[in-house]
Amino acid sequence: MTLRFLFLSLLALSWSLTGLAASEPQLTDHLRSKLVAAETAAQPGRTLDIGLLFEHDEHWHTYWVNPGDSGLKTEVELTLPEGVSASGIQWPAPQRFLLGELVNFGYDGRTLLPMQLTISADYAASTLPIAVSARWLICEHECIPGKADYRFELPVANSAEPDSRWAEDFAKARARQPQSMDIAANISEQAGNTLQMTLNGADLPENLSDWTLFPVAEELIAYGPLPHWQPAGQGWQTALTRSDYYQRLPETSDWLLVQGDRALRFTATASSAEAANAIGASQAVAVTDESKPTLFLALGLALLGGLILNLMPCVFPVLSLKAMAAVRSADNRAALRHHGLWYTAGVVVSFVAVAGLLLVLRAGGEQLGWGFQMQSPWFVALMALLLFALGLSFSGVWEFGGRFAGVGQGLTEGHGAKPAFFTGVLAVVVASPCTAPFMGTALGFAISQPPVWALSVFVALGLGLALPMLLLGFVPALARLLPKPGAWMTRFRQVLAFPLYLTVVWLLWVYGEQTSALSMAWLLAALTALAFGLWLWNQRHMMQSSGSKRFSAALSLLALIGAVALPLSSAEQAVPAAQPSNQAWSAERLSELTARGEPVLVNMTAAWCLTCLANERVALRDELVQSLIAERGIHYLKGDWTRYDADITQYLEQFGRNGVPLYVYYPRGGGEPQVLPQLLTPDLLLTTLAEGGQPPKPAP
Amino acid sequence: MKTVLTTIALTAASLFAVAEASVVGQPAPAFTLTDSNGKSHNLADFKGKTVVLEWTNHDCPFVKKHYGANNMQTQQAEATSKEVVWLTINSSAPGKQGHVDGAAANEVRSKVGAKQTAYLLDPKGDTGRAYGAKTTPHMYIIDANGVLRYNGAIDSISSADQADIPKATQYVSQGLAELSAGKNLSVTTSKPYGCAVKY
Repeated sequence: MTLRFLFLSLLALSWSLTGLAASEPQLTDHLRSKLVAAETAAQPGRTLDIGLLFEHDEHWHTYWVNPGDSGLKTEVELTLPEGVSASGIQWPAPQRFLLGELVNFGYDGRTLLPMQLTISADYAASTLPIAVSARWLICEHECIPGKADYRFELPVANSAEPDSRWAEDFAKARARQPQSMDIAANISEQAGNTLQMTLNGADLPENLSDWTLFPVAEELIAYGPLPHWQPAGQGWQTALTRSDYYQRLPETSDWLLVQGDRALRFTATASSAEAANAIGASQAVAVTDESKPTLFLALGLALLGGLILNLMPCVFPVLSLKAMAAVRSADNRAALRHHGLWYTAGVVVSFVAVAGLLLVLRAGGEQLGWGFQMQSPWFVALMALLLFALGLSFSGVWEFGGRFAGVGQGLTEGHGAKPAFFTGVLAVVVASPCTAPFMGTALGFAISQPPVWALSVFVALGLGLALPMLLLGFVPALARLLPKPGAWMTRFRQVLAFPLYLTVVWLLWVYGEQTSALSMAWLLAALTALAFGLWLWNQRHMMQSSGSKRFSAALSLLALIGAVALPLSSAEQAVPAAQPSNQAWSAERLSELTARGEPVLVNMTAAWCLTCLANERVALRDELVQSLIAERGIHYLKGDWTRYDADITQYLEQFGRNGVPLYVYYPRGGGEPQVLPQLLTPDLLLTTLAEGGQPPKPAP
Repeated sequence: MKTVLTTIALTAASLFAVAEASVVGQPAPAFTLTDSNGKSHNLADFKGKTVVLEWTNHDCPFVKKHYGANNMQTQQAEATSKEVVWLTINSSAPGKQGHVDGAAANEVRSKVGAKQTAYLLDPKGDTGRAYGAKTTPHMYIIDANGVLRYNGAIDSISSADQADIPKATQYVSQGLAELSAGKNLSVTTSKPYGCAVKY
């Protein structure tokens, strides 16, 4: 009796340890595999987790449902008794394997591929026989196809225990099951062989840059290039290179984002049904397709930005001048319309021309960002001269219309097509120093997009700038709102000269930063020469003798030529302003510090960037911030983009930026760098720099 | 300044064009390679004829699948009998799986009874990269005008199992038949399957 009891107990013990919840292990090339069950018994009316447990030899891997550039997904075929049904493999999040130039998705080491059985409530047999045959491809550099059949029987019972032998494997496979993410995901075809993916929603991780993107569907994207996520609106956006075997965008496609053991799943919708169905649809059509919400948003923002640009100190006076011209002819609506259209054309063409040049230069490998024109001291000097001349004209020192090579005529007077067009060009020219600090981020984002999209953002910006003038002709109520012409106009014009002078002062300072005090003095002399020349030119109409007329004309021309020539001949790039060397940003210094795991705060700025200066005043030089930086031994590295600097441009690009400001914090111990918002507050800096603080959300 | 202007002109021309090698519908990338008998072949030499490119690595199980079932040799024989040029290209780098010199290549050819026009050696992988060859096998069809017409898998069932061959659509045979009938190819790209090319 005792013996028999002992025997039975041993038998039961050995069953529960080995015999029941697993198949015999199969040894194939570089792989040891078996079929296992998560529990010791099958329960009618319940589900049961089973799985293929793969133990790969070191360096060998098998494949995910999308194997990547080569390889084959593992396939299973289940044979089950009646009353039992099964899911396919519930794929855990894969890993990325680099094989030379190819990318594979799959698993290595010890991996469980789980499946789930559903056992009907009336399953009456005393055991549940499970048979699985599997086929796979296992590769290191070389590949070997493998296959095996597995079989075991599980007792049927009303209760079951978890099988501790694989509990950890099932737990890991469960942890790596992708979780559904409730976000809006859009994907659309773009020019230049790319797809644009946009993700929006509260479920999104805070920073996508350290998550790996896996497409579940094959033949959509190339796997080599890693996506470069950029903040867009409330979410993230990236361009993806199309696969060499790309045919069309499916209406929906599944994707994973994986970081460590966490995996998030989302379904992306093709942005428009036409784009999805039209195979080989012209790229231009795909891009201008207005149903794309992100494009819509970008265009809307640009339009708004252009509209606000009208209020900037450089642009507003010029625009007011136009408005006053409109006041004089408020009754002639046809003329206003005609004028508005030509003016709009001038604005839009100029914007597109500048943007096109920038894109072409960049495509040619130049390290340029928006605002690049402000990096040239000559450009700054010419802008200062131009705005000063405009200011003088507003002050009444001289009048436009003195036959300034035909362009001057159009600046204020007349309703011809040419003058209106060139007024538009002038508006863009005077707007350009203002756009640099004001529109930098938005335009920088546009520039990183495919050319057609980028250019349409610029068109929208131009339309925004031109909108007030355009509306005057088309909305009668607006024209009626204009005040009556009168003596006030002269005074108003004179007042408007002062914002222009202030802009000149700012440009002079920028010029001084870029060059030297000596060069700035030459530019001041040039401004004086310009003032003299213009004054004299205006005076000569009142002179009696033709001799003195001719003499003064010659003299004023000479002064004007001198005015332009002086800064051109004297503008020498200054040596960068002296900065304590431990503060100056350089790529080497940064990598040296981060390699040692030291905390670093990088500030990318430029003298002509107003936002940057405001941030420095308000936040970076805040006493508490300064003392925190000192206390925690944070290295503060400042990069100056006032002048052309390829290294900094490249650094900005790493973060998807095209202009300054950019603030990046590298936490102690070599953590992921955090990009701070473009508008800093002391509070935000204090929270970020205090270790353990919550990183702020990146600015949109 | 001149270089800047040249850059502008050149990039303006290419800005909106898709600068991608081996795109179906575009001219196939040019190459010159030496075959297993030491003879040099230039793609341009075959102008006027349809050309099939087959990337190979005789140790790869997927290549073995198609040679072992005599599928590849049958297709080669059928194509070459119809004046199609069939070039087998080996891009395995020295020291990597499947790398052969001319003598070894000829040994492989005779052992399996291959019927290709020539077996080309691409040990540096330049031609493989120019075409974006990813797997062995990886197949391309170039028409008589030198335009790439097909880029992709040898057939429609990606597996290492010979039993799948009769069930699969053979994309190359199908494409060649459509091409000679003056029709458009019904499948112009597919994702190739097999072992990664051992660059």
